[in-house]
Amino acid sequence: MANANQLVTDLFKSNGIIIPEHRMKLFDRFLQEEQNLAILHQLKKNQDQLMANWKTEDRIAEIVQQPIRIPNATVGKHYAAPFDFEQYGWNDLIAFRIEGLETLGLNYSAENNQLTGVPTQSGDLKFSVHFKVEGQPEEAPFHQKDVLLIINPDPKTLWQNLESDKNDPYWKEDDVTLFSPIGDRHLLVSSKRGRSHATVGSFREDDFAFKELPNGWNVVVVADGAGSAKLARKGSALACAGVVNYFLDPAAVESMAEFDNLVQQHASQTGADTQKNLNRFVYNTLGKAAFQVHKQLESFAKAQEVTLKDLSSTLIFTLFKKYDVGYALLSFGVGDCPIAVLNKDVTEVTLMNWIDVGEFGGGTRFITMPEIFQNEKFATRFGFKLIDNFSYLFMMSDGIYDPKFVVEANLPSIAKWQEFLADLNGQNEGKAAVDLSTTNPDLAAQLSKWMDFWSPGNHDDRSLAIVF
Amino acid sequence: MTGEPIEAVKNGVQVMISSLRQNPQAIETAFISIITFDSEAKQVVPLTDLASFQMVDIRATGTTSLGEALKLVSTCIDNEVTKTTAEQKGDWKPLVFIMTDGIPTDDWQIGLEEFRKRKTAFTVACAAGSAADSALLKLITENVVSLDTADSQSIAKFFTWVSASIGVSSTKVEDGGQEVTGMGELPPPPAELNIVT
Repeated sequence: MANANQLVTDLFKSNGIIIPEHRMKLFDRFLQEEQNLAILHQLKKNQDQLMANWKTEDRIAEIVQQPIRIPNATVGKHYAAPFDFEQYGWNDLIAFRIEGLETLGLNYSAENNQLTGVPTQSGDLKFSVHFKVEGQPEEAPFHQKDVLLIINPDPKTLWQNLESDKNDPYWKEDDVTLFSPIGDRHLLVSSKRGRSHATVGSFREDDFAFKELPNGWNVVVVADGAGSAKLARKGSALACAGVVNYFLDPAAVESMAEFDNLVQQHASQTGADTQKNLNRFVYNTLGKAAFQVHKQLESFAKAQEVTLKDLSSTLIFTLFKKYDVGYALLSFGVGDCPIAVLNKDVTEVTLMNWIDVGEFGGGTRFITMPEIFQNEKFATRFGFKLIDNFSYLFMMSDGIYDPKFVVEANLPSIAKWQEFLADLNGQNEGKAAVDLSTTNPDLAAQLSKWMDFWSPGNHDDRSLAIVF
Repeated sequence: MTGEPIEAVKNGVQVMISSLRQNPQAIETAFISIITFDSEAKQVVPLTDLASFQMVDIRATGTTSLGEALKLVSTCIDNEVTKTTAEQKGDWKPLVFIMTDGIPTDDWQIGLEEFRKRKTAFTVACAAGSAADSALLKLITENVVSLDTADSQSIAKFFTWVSASIGVSSTKVEDGGQEVTGMGELPPPPAELNIVT
């Protein structure tokens, strides 16, 4: 044995036995003795075994502690993630089995090195790999490595539908959908409480109103109360009612009659600057209406000893009337609620307003903000359109705009509006279809169902008014 | 921050994430990023949606580079928080939570200057234990809370309150785009948290 001398010398040394020079020859003979050689051989073998055992233990500990990250899963959603032994450096596993996957709804495929399945329960869950590494005898027990798998709950199951407090002085119905004739057209309108409000039992903040006015005019109003404002539900309700009441007032009715002359002049091109006069009329009349609504909100806030901000609400309204020359549409808007008119063939879209969006999500402006009336852009908040005919007039709150149009750039695109119509017609995940026909007896029910479409992250109140 | 407090912070974040995962609004909309600061500031988790988020091991030893951290959170906001344009939908304003158990050892004013230029829905700072300087944190944000001792129980309470605050404010910020301006609009903090006025 080559290093027998060294081995024994070290052993003796560590036990305080030093071989002096004059005993060296004796020591050499001692090492040559058969019996001692046998002991040495065994000693060496045991040492090697001991080291090998330690390496195995160390390797097992390494595997058990090795952080393994696998992507999070979601209940009910198909899951596929690599679970690759080679990638983890587990080439020295001589046997393994994986336990605890079935109860999670998952399977492991050694062929594809993949975990797949549809998770059935949520939480910070574990499954385990039971393994043996190279160097372990066959009869050795398996070692256990736990792997963390985070399974998210299915968000759909987390939403609750709690009733709002009917005893609240400013309570309003959670969901309203109506179908009604309006002028020579029809109005289908729905306003529904968003899931974000339903899950905590709070109120619908959106609102709407409509009215046939005495002189052939019709008005449709949509308002979206700011969820962060205490009495926004009242703010939006007051704003809607305020617009309708303004135009029902005899003074307003009389002033709207003036418009008939202006339109005649414009159509026959008899007057000078007819376009300018029309624009001025719209600005004056609708501007007054908007300002009166603002004032009403202000006095309500004062009387109730709340701040005007507590009533924060966006506001859009459209007036329309049929003339021989076509339809006149007048509009006003503050906030992030679009108004769009589609021509008869649905080949052109006219946006009646621009929308107030901020740098960050959710940022917008409200009718309760005094600064909008002083702003130089106030005059651009009005819309006027003379159109021979139209197929649809759409008005919506951001609860519809956000999921369906996402960004402003999509609003002028007729293709997007055609998509939107197709969506209403049933081309959607839930196959909810609205047959936009005036003779459809289920019209309101169909729209109400459509309004419940699923869109992750978009759970605000939803309001949609369609004149067709 | 070492030993029991850092372990408690780790646990606190875990518990917070688990509880936010039960909030449907949060799980569909919230993104989370973690920045640690000791001798240097490091973004240990980039802005990640809550559903995909996985906690990493966090360590904090040595000094307290608060200024670096404020500078880093500012650049992270610039790079990771999307602003609204006509073609792209913007993110909600970020909520920032700062927790420290020491006094800054670097030039924190420069970092603060950067941070002030960024818009947040709100920022809450927490002085954990007696070695932290809540008066200094008060210069960063109006909303400062303090823990008498940085033990695991107090830290756990802080994170429970943070989760509740995220739940409330994410809905608020979203609904109206209005800022949550003071702590009066957040859920009431537990007894372990002292509001620094």
